[in-house]
Amino acid sequence: MIELQDIHKSFGTNHVIRGFSAQIGKGEIVTIIGPSGSGKSTVLRCINGLEKHDSGTILVEGVPVDRTKRSIVDIRTKVSMVFQRFNLFPHRTALENVIEGPIFVKRENVDAARKRGRDLLARVGLQDKETAYPGQLSGGQQQRVAIARALAMQPSAILFDEPTSALDPELVGEVLGVMKSLAGEGMTMVIVTHEIAFAREVANRALFIDQGVIVEEGPAREMLAQPKQARTQDFLRRVLHPM
Amino acid sequence: MQKFINDAIEFLPILLQGVKLTVLVTIGSLVLSTLLGLVWALMRVSGIKILDVSARVVVNFIRGIPIIVQLFYIYFVMPDFGVTLSALQASIIGLGIAYSAYQAENFRAGIEAIEPGQIEAAQSIGMGWWMVMRRVVLPQAVRIVLPPYGNVMIMMLKDSSQASTITVAELALQGKLIASSTFKNTSVFTLVAILYLCMSLPLMYLVSRLERRAAQGRK
Ligand SMILES: Nc1ncnc2c1ncn2[C@@H]1O[C@H](COP(=O)(O)OP(=O)(O)OP(=O)(O)O)[C@@H](O)[C@H]1O
Ligand SMILES: [Mg+2]
Repeated sequence: MIELQDIHKSFGTNHVIRGFSAQIGKGEIVTIIGPSGSGKSTVLRCINGLEKHDSGTILVEGVPVDRTKRSIVDIRTKVSMVFQRFNLFPHRTALENVIEGPIFVKRENVDAARKRGRDLLARVGLQDKETAYPGQLSGGQQQRVAIARALAMQPSAILFDEPTSALDPELVGEVLGVMKSLAGEGMTMVIVTHEIAFAREVANRALFIDQGVIVEEGPAREMLAQPKQARTQDFLRRVLHPM
Repeated sequence: MQKFINDAIEFLPILLQGVKLTVLVTIGSLVLSTLLGLVWALMRVSGIKILDVSARVVVNFIRGIPIIVQLFYIYFVMPDFGVTLSALQASIIGLGIAYSAYQAENFRAGIEAIEPGQIEAAQSIGMGWWMVMRRVVLPQAVRIVLPPYGNVMIMMLKDSSQASTITVAELALQGKLIASSTFKNTSVFTLVAILYLCMSLPLMYLVSRLERRAAQGRK
């Protein structure tokens, strides 16, 4: 459902993505791990056209990603994104955040969207917070609203960019819990994370990238337990045992 | 004091004619400067180079010329190009254009204060540029922009007196006319000053309330 062929991307003279290719099938859960600055976020941002790749092709359900074309709107409604810093709209309530896209982008019936929005908030465990503003919610709650907002677009896939990195440790679990339940329902997910144990448990496949290229990839369970490449081993050791 | 009250009773009706024009010029040019300022600001943040640069040139051009010269230009020079305006129209257009440059800078600062992350989130649910502006950026920018906007209103109220230079008999000019025909300078200009204060003090109060609200909102 998502195909990347030989993607390159530079910021000025900084060649960040150097020939990245991957295929993500329907219902597949792929985790991308790698050191800071290796290009993980950039890859995700290219997939939904927040960033423009310099060369190579990205296809979403067969449609090329090109942020200058009208088709980008369609692609963005098919591929939702969840950000590290939640990025909720602070002037709108939890429910309004969730139904903003369905009502204003997809032009859904307001009552139907509200009803579905409430169901989605319930699904992420926030049925009692629909009138709360983001500023009144904890980080974990905000991120769950952000996931509900992504789900409200009825996407075929969701991209997660370090969804728990900005959270206090005791709030990480509630967000991972929601993601795990999504995984159980067959949602296609691409997850950039440093939560290795979680990745090992829910992901089908893992990609380790360093300096903009895939160094190693394989089934998540094996690869994250017994990586073959020295660079992957080294990285995992540092993530798992920071001291 | 009794003399002043008698003068006041005599001159107020005429001065209120001036107040009417002052209010008209202020509100007219406020509306025009707001609309134009919004256009310049949106061009600046459009991300389209040519629009950005044109807006920047226009704004600097406007800022670099004194308001009074802009008024003279519109009132005295435009007729040579076949555009004849009444003094009132010319003053509203002139002040509107002149102040649009300040409005634009204020609006742009407000727009740019919105976190880029929110804009990306809006884009990632499929919103186009204009919808991002309308649904995410502008509603939040308004709160940031309101206090300085109030200050601009006060400045425009006072600067509406510049319309007198192109014969609009607003409050200041009306006062000068009465004074020069009656020689009651003290009474007349005291009245003029009081009338300006009656309009600007409530505005200042409004601004300080807006500022307090904005400060609370940030918490
Ligand atoms: N908008 C930008 N302008 C310039 N350079 C950028 C921009 N975005 C990213 N970069 C650079 O691209 C490189 C890859 O960044 P990216 O954010 O994709 O890394 P990452 O793997 O997500 O890192 P992290 O784990 O820190 O989030 C970095 O060197 C970064 O400085
Ligand atoms: Mg990143």
